[in-house]
Amino acid sequence: MINDKRTNYLIFPFTFHRLPDQELLLVNQAGEFIFISSQDFDSFINGLLGTKSQIFLDLKSKHFVTDTDKQRAIDLLATKLRTRKGFLRNFTALHMIVVTTRCNFRCDYCHASSTAPEQRDGNMALGTAEKVVDMIFRSPSSTIKIEFQGGEPILNWKIVKKIVEYAQSLNRHKHKHLEFVICTNLTLVDESILKFLRRYQIAISTSLDGPKELHDMHRMSRNGQSGYDLFKEKLDLVRNVVGQDMCSALLTVTKSNVNRLRDVINEYVDLGFSGIFLRALNPYGRAKLGRERLGYSTEEFLEAYRDAMAYIIELNLQGKRFVEFYTSLLLQRIFTPFSTGFMDLQSPSGAGISGAIYDYDGEVYPSDEARMLARIGDKKFSMGNVHEDSYDHIFSGSLIHRLVRDSCVETLPGCASCVFQMYCGADPVRNYAETEDIVGHRPTSEFCKKNMGIIKYLFEMIKENNDNVMDVFFSWMTKRSLEEMRK
Amino acid sequence: MTNFERKGFFITDSGEKLLVKLSKQFYEKPAVMAAAYKFTHKCTVLIEPLDEGYVGVWFQAKNNESPDMLPGLINDFCNELIDQQVRLDLDKRYGGLRDTIFEHAFLPTESFSKKQK
Repeated sequence: MINDKRTNYLIFPFTFHRLPDQELLLVNQAGEFIFISSQDFDSFINGLLGTKSQIFLDLKSKHFVTDTDKQRAIDLLATKLRTRKGFLRNFTALHMIVVTTRCNFRCDYCHASSTAPEQRDGNMALGTAEKVVDMIFRSPSSTIKIEFQGGEPILNWKIVKKIVEYAQSLNRHKHKHLEFVICTNLTLVDESILKFLRRYQIAISTSLDGPKELHDMHRMSRNGQSGYDLFKEKLDLVRNVVGQDMCSALLTVTKSNVNRLRDVINEYVDLGFSGIFLRALNPYGRAKLGRERLGYSTEEFLEAYRDAMAYIIELNLQGKRFVEFYTSLLLQRIFTPFSTGFMDLQSPSGAGISGAIYDYDGEVYPSDEARMLARIGDKKFSMGNVHEDSYDHIFSGSLIHRLVRDSCVETLPGCASCVFQMYCGADPVRNYAETEDIVGHRPTSEFCKKNMGIIKYLFEMIKENNDNVMDVFFSWMTKRSLEEMRK
Repeated sequence: MTNFERKGFFITDSGEKLLVKLSKQFYEKPAVMAAAYKFTHKCTVLIEPLDEGYVGVWFQAKNNESPDMLPGLINDFCNELIDQQVRLDLDKRYGGLRDTIFEHAFLPTESFSKKQK
């Protein structure tokens, strides 16, 4: 198939994908990409491309090929690869703590299967909280981010405070870059809580599913109050006390809002949020049980995503800076060699090695999704317990070794030759949830279909190279305004 | 007999299953496996040796799929197979560089310096 004729250039490893218009997309080990015609591709791989031709020079400048200094090209590729895999050097930086399983809301898609506020046994005890913080500070990572999760963490506020204060006291000697985030529906916060959050620079992550009628379809309090009204009432207070930028919101796309994402985006804009994460429903907790009622096909999601992106780009071009965060993250992966640190898009997966979650009872899981599985009775991914097991047992045990071994996209069936592998990642817990096998089955994987659909869309945009669209994309990646981009 | 069959593209077995006969002279096992894997969401795929120098790939539509889609799917399979074989050929020629780049990227500096010496 490939001519035996000796080539006068050396081709570096790359993956490729045929596009509908007689062109191919090539991506190398450093994540650099190039579009090439089918004819040039055949010449290229058969060693017949003229070394003075423009396409050869383009391929050479992106390290797909060299006809001169092989060692220099290898050095550059290795440096870019090392940078891209930088997350491996830091080890576990994100530590999520479930301070309670209790929640004053009963969202019908709750991935975490929260329990009623009256149920007292879902609270983390002080002794467990201290052991969790001790365990967290054993991590060699120079950055530690502690994220409070639930249930509704404010229902165990006493423990949240203790953890923050204890972590701060330990850090006086450890000197790590320490950050906190609290995931809350906001409804139980008051001024004294907010002052504490402000004092320790604790970022707030809340939930917003769109305008009132959409939000209230799934996010109602247990006593029947409108989740939207409670949220809106507190949002102003939050911003007055902790500031505008310390509070972001997370969207869950359900059957109710999948075809109304423009309305959802308008709501985010009206409420002063700087962007949105178009987050699809995941197969955990009550979302899994209510899939028929809440779910939609990946094709529907991708169609809605494309429409939402067109609208977001239009808003940006009209002068309203508004970011789709997942897209922005993927663009950074496509255009830069930097490590972006999103657990689902890492190879090996970030589960356990980049992030871990500590349940209220001290059980440790490699990801939030693994904890969600445990909540519905499947503890396959328990790495150990802070009361019984050592740091080495938990973070260097057989489970984590297996997760790392079986989540390298470079070796996974279907991923190994995928052109998008440098921008994507593996989610072994999701694979297990879908197929009962952590390796998973790519041809039927919704995770694969969704990510591939989004990345393909981005490459369509990149290939089209519309100045306006690319300006918007680069303004997101560089965190600069559109005007600055165009200067 | 369809046009495809007249060209000897594949053989049907009572309309339910299709067999693609591949020459080992052009296609190797890893390429056949990788290409077949991509179609396991729609078909049950069986790979077996045929006469000397040939391998057969049987495709049978899964329960929720119509057997009518099989000819189109086999077109896609054949193109995918070529791409997989190209990848394999390239890998044989240049795949060693991948290991060199990975080793270079992750070897501790002092070990690499020693190795250079």
